[in-house]
Amino acid sequence: MAQSMFILYEHSSGYALFRVKEFEDVGLLQPQVEASVTDLSLFNSLVKLAAFSPFKSGTNALDNMNSVSEGLVHEDLRLFLETSVPKSTKKEKVIVGVGDSKLGAAIVEELGISCQHTGVVPEIIRGVRCHFPNLVKGLTEQSAAKAQLGLGHSYSRAKVKFNVNRVDNMII
Amino acid sequence: GRGGMRGGKKVVVEPHRHEGVFISRGKEDALVTLNMVPGESVYGEKRISVEDGEKKIEYRAWNPFRSKLAAAILGGVDKIHIKPGCKVLYLGAASGTTVSHVSDIVGPEGLVYAVEFSHRSGRDLINVAKKRTNIIPIIEDARHPHKYRMLVGMVDTVFADVAQPDQARIVAINAHHFLKNGGHVVISIKANCIDSTAAPEAVFAEEVNKLKAEKIKPQEQLTLEPYERDHAVVVGCYRPPAKKTG
Repeated sequence: MAQSMFILYEHSSGYALFRVKEFEDVGLLQPQVEASVTDLSLFNSLVKLAAFSPFKSGTNALDNMNSVSEGLVHEDLRLFLETSVPKSTKKEKVIVGVGDSKLGAAIVEELGISCQHTGVVPEIIRGVRCHFPNLVKGLTEQSAAKAQLGLGHSYSRAKVKFNVNRVDNMII
Repeated sequence: GRGGMRGGKKVVVEPHRHEGVFISRGKEDALVTLNMVPGESVYGEKRISVEDGEKKIEYRAWNPFRSKLAAAILGGVDKIHIKPGCKVLYLGAASGTTVSHVSDIVGPEGLVYAVEFSHRSGRDLINVAKKRTNIIPIIEDARHPHKYRMLVGMVDTVFADVAQPDQARIVAINAHHFLKNGGHVVISIKANCIDSTAAPEAVFAEEVNKLKAEKIKPQEQLTLEPYERDHAVVVGCYRPPAKKTG
């Protein structure tokens, strides 16, 4: 049975899905991926953007990040995967590579899509992280950093329960 | 009379061997960085203004007793792997005092992803980051990089000052997630925090061995005397490029 692999990548600016070039032997793929992490043109021949869904607003991004960091499937992620990941057939099995085992388990359970988080997957995600602004149209190094900055502040502020109205609001 | 660093004309600021770091030569020499937010101190440190023709440039004094990175620089570390334009993942950012100097060094073209778990220090860190837009504050446990994977891009250098017994592992998993091939780690190790019964030298050697097992090739090690006791800074290269043969 043939296998096709996708990679789910969560970025401050939105969800992205990449299709990994067809391969037969994962063992052969690993060194190829490791070499391509540093080279964009090599990486492009290995991985292709299949779908990208930007977050609608800062609040929406924070909402999604809270789910992702806890390994939960947010409604937006469910919709994104349902529309973007092709169904497994008898001839071709679809596997989605994810960055976190907990999120993978949640996706298997709620959507019935096979997931993997080990083997070649972390290495491909490293490559995606390296080249992300170049892989998604309309995104630049600067706009990607801006999204991280905004989300970093809102996520961290929520963590320390920082109250904008009262600077000194101790949590006991 | 007027104290210490004042008296503009007598102070001359020269670039340090490490790009982005400076030395001010006055009555007493001091390590300084170019203040990204002129007119403001972050933690009460002294500011030094230098006239450059019409323009005034402001630097901030960097105290080696309060910052292990500054102590390492004065201790003669060969390379800090932090320079203008660099992207740095800083683990154990605390209140953001050293982070503010790293932010000065990498400048507007660089980025500092600053991770701190304590909410109390985290609040200060967020406030420092508000004024310095090259700092991305991350209040989260550095043991679980997957929790903040959405916020961090690939970095050139991982700096760690987490003072935890499992520090080597913390650095390694963050490197596996976020550090470029051939990127560097700079780690401050407090012997006491890892094993308070063993000799510091033995603790440092053991930590270096742990790093080697994680594809981090040690390149340099120095103690932080006289600024800190039983502290070492270790510099290493992650997945160093294979040496070309022939």
